Amino acid sequence: MLLVAILTSSCISCQAKQTGGSFIEGQSGGDAETLNWLLAADATSHSYIGHTIDTLVTYDNQLNIVLRCLARDIEVSPDGLVYTITIRDDLKWSNNSPVTAEDYVYTLKNLMFSDWLNYPYKGSWQEDVGGEKVLVTPEIIDETTFTITRQTIDAEFVYTVYDLIPYPKYIASKYEGDIEAFTQAPEFNNLTYTGNLGPYRFVEWIRNDRFVVERNPEYYLGKDIGAPYFKKYIVKLFSTSATRQAALEAEDITYTGIEPEQANKFRSLEHTKVYTVPTGGYTLLAYNQRANGWDGLENKAVRQALSMAINKEAMGQTIYLGFAEPAYSFIPVTSPWYDDESVVKYGVGPLYDKKRAAEILYQEGYGILLDDGTIKVTDKEGNPLQLTLVTNTGSKLVSDISAFVHRELADLGIEVKLKYVPWATLLRQYVKNSVPNTGQEPLSNGGPEAISTESWDLILMAFGSDVLAPSGSEIFFTTDGGLNFFGYYNPEIDELFDRVKSKEALDKNVRKDIYAELSLELSEEQPVNFLVFKMSNLGFQENVMGIEPGISTGHNYYLWYFE
Amino acid sequence: MKKSWLRDYTIKRLLYAVIIAWGILTITFILVRVGPSSPADKYLANIAASGQDVSQITAAIEARYGVDKPIFEQYSDYMVNLFQGDWGWSFSTSMPVIDLIKTHWIYSFQLILLSSLFAAFLGILVGIYSAVKQYTKADYIATFFSFIGISIPNFWLGVMLILVFSVKLGLFKTYYDTSLPLFSIDNLAALVLPVITLGTGMLAGYVRYTRSAMLDNLRKEFVTTARAKGLRERTVIGKHVFRNAMLPLVTIIMFDLGSIVFGGAYLTEIVFGIPGLGQISFNAIFADDYPVVVAVTLIGTLLVLLVNLVTDITYTYLDPRIRYD
Repeated sequence: MLLVAILTSSCISCQAKQTGGSFIEGQSGGDAETLNWLLAADATSHSYIGHTIDTLVTYDNQLNIVLRCLARDIEVSPDGLVYTITIRDDLKWSNNSPVTAEDYVYTLKNLMFSDWLNYPYKGSWQEDVGGEKVLVTPEIIDETTFTITRQTIDAEFVYTVYDLIPYPKYIASKYEGDIEAFTQAPEFNNLTYTGNLGPYRFVEWIRNDRFVVERNPEYYLGKDIGAPYFKKYIVKLFSTSATRQAALEAEDITYTGIEPEQANKFRSLEHTKVYTVPTGGYTLLAYNQRANGWDGLENKAVRQALSMAINKEAMGQTIYLGFAEPAYSFIPVTSPWYDDESVVKYGVGPLYDKKRAAEILYQEGYGILLDDGTIKVTDKEGNPLQLTLVTNTGSKLVSDISAFVHRELADLGIEVKLKYVPWATLLRQYVKNSVPNTGQEPLSNGGPEAISTESWDLILMAFGSDVLAPSGSEIFFTTDGGLNFFGYYNPEIDELFDRVKSKEALDKNVRKDIYAELSLELSEEQPVNFLVFKMSNLGFQENVMGIEPGISTGHNYYLWYFE
Repeated sequence: MKKSWLRDYTIKRLLYAVIIAWGILTITFILVRVGPSSPADKYLANIAASGQDVSQITAAIEARYGVDKPIFEQYSDYMVNLFQGDWGWSFSTSMPVIDLIKTHWIYSFQLILLSSLFAAFLGILVGIYSAVKQYTKADYIATFFSFIGISIPNFWLGVMLILVFSVKLGLFKTYYDTSLPLFSIDNLAALVLPVITLGTGMLAGYVRYTRSAMLDNLRKEFVTTARAKGLRERTVIGKHVFRNAMLPLVTIIMFDLGSIVFGGAYLTEIVFGIPGLGQISFNAIFADDYPVVVAVTLIGTLLVLLVNLVTDITYTYLDPRIRYD
């Protein structure tokens, strides 16, 4: 009986996971730039390549490591300086030769670290040693093992290593030293080398239209279970979210992201299902503390007062239609480093209080007391206060948030002048800054004396925070931070960011404490107003099975199948 | 005799076309290269964030794409390569520009050709009927709908057609499918909604122009003479009135053909996800992909010049009195 039951259930399982069909993912927001990933600057290129070649690990919805090309997790030496990486021994290139530690080390040393290729993200593999930028040292140990040695400790460097993917040395060495030939190499631009490294194999890429891969029967994770189960995986590009969503509704595509206002409609359709999942994406309102911003913004109490006047919960409800939650620091609630006790919740609950905000501004000298006892917020001279909010054009969401901020601050008596400019203009004229009359090249952080070409007070922007390694956000908040365009300088914050990468932070409990201190300090200081972390709605056809919705929904996508 | 001056005229116009195309190519090349943007811009935020030397990486990336040289050197290199058939490398799509154009021109061409045929055929027929039946119910209906057709934005019409015919009725796919064989019924079916979207505005315009041109000629003395000679009404309209009305119509149709190549077709391509040259050129502009921008501008220029030449030659056949010598 038991045997019959087992046979029956295994047979049902076989039938349920039959290979077939094309999974069509609808995307909008631009096509990839290249499949030659070392040259890519965009996320789409990496997402295309990811179908054909795996990184060392991926993460499940609880953010646990799931091994991919790694045979076992990376071993970090007790002193935190040596990383030992052991890859699987069954990885193969398309010519059937094994993928070895030599390929990984070659990719690092001869390609990513080389001068001729100028890999734009080489900085992730550099460390500061005695004031100089030094590259880490990769070394082959044996066929499947290599090490990466640092001279300084970085407790979160391991996350950089986890994302590594190799180039085949036997092909790449042909193009070594010749950037033009490397850029145009057909093997890299057509992904002809990926062997059994990914669930799918490249078929075609029609620019601005679709990227097509087919099932890879050799996939190292799928050969015993028959995965992946889709015959083809197609990424179809749409120029508008309206047509993308219409395609899902008409069952012309299998999966796409759903805009907040459409989520309920797709939930109610019989043939679709919608999952709401958290993301690391957040929106912030930067306060210009440089010399060409309103001088009040250099005062912490003023920044706190402004943040106290903007209702984050209402913003989440009215603009994101409930698909966002208030942000208090750069660490999302879903991050293992988030501590709800260690944040000051400006803009929420008792700390959303316009009356108190007006009182603070008055106490700081920015207001006058009217005869009826109310406070009118003004500048130091008693004139009406006008602030300029700059943001990018072309996004309804951004313009809705800007209008929301405009309304909230108008209640305080502050007139917010909204300025929408193209993204490139925003970067060149408002974000980049340099010290006047010095000939300094404009940078995103030209130092405390630097100012942007155009003056501004508030900039609305969206960023993504790394849920597992949020220390990357140091670029915004440290003195030397490459994207500290708003001019916030605080030695305590610098020290905390240093500590979060230091030897003591190798102990995860200590690291969590340091992150808690950082969150507390930044949410108290309000160098920017962290507004909301957004959630995503993922719309699938009802017959797609095997999905585990969460912050890392795609981690097991090679196991998805049609019912 | 006609052959001789027409041949001379055509050669002269072709020579002019080459000079004009070269001029426009040069201006476009200079405009796109002297702008403040750089192909390194897209990397800048990350470079700055990782604490690297921005100027060093920028220089390296500009060298990779050959935009680090003096503008004259870039220009002379480009022209030499162009004459050797090398249109450069598209760094926003990672393929040779010539291959990019070879892959994508057909999507624009089929859309524009079918839309023009649809609009010209129906528009002229309805316009003739409307003129012949002036001030009748049929004329009023045609006039009413042609005004609506002219007023509806392409973009809105396309989305509405998708919602009604694809989402609600399920008659067509919501997007254009490039995997369909080019010469197949399925491909033709996939083009129905895009062709209606792009063609409706043109069709409505042709109805108005045809009606107007026909009415102008219907009142002329040669029509009265033709009728007085006892010719059948069909012959009078078809052979005498319509032939004379054709002259302004040819100008308008050809002008439309030139202007929609990279203009009007773009929005339709966007709505239906057709990866034509309109989309390619638009994306290239925003990606600062200079080789593609210059190439598609050159192609657009040559097409417009060619269409103008064909229009002028067509005039001589429609109205033998026209001579260009």
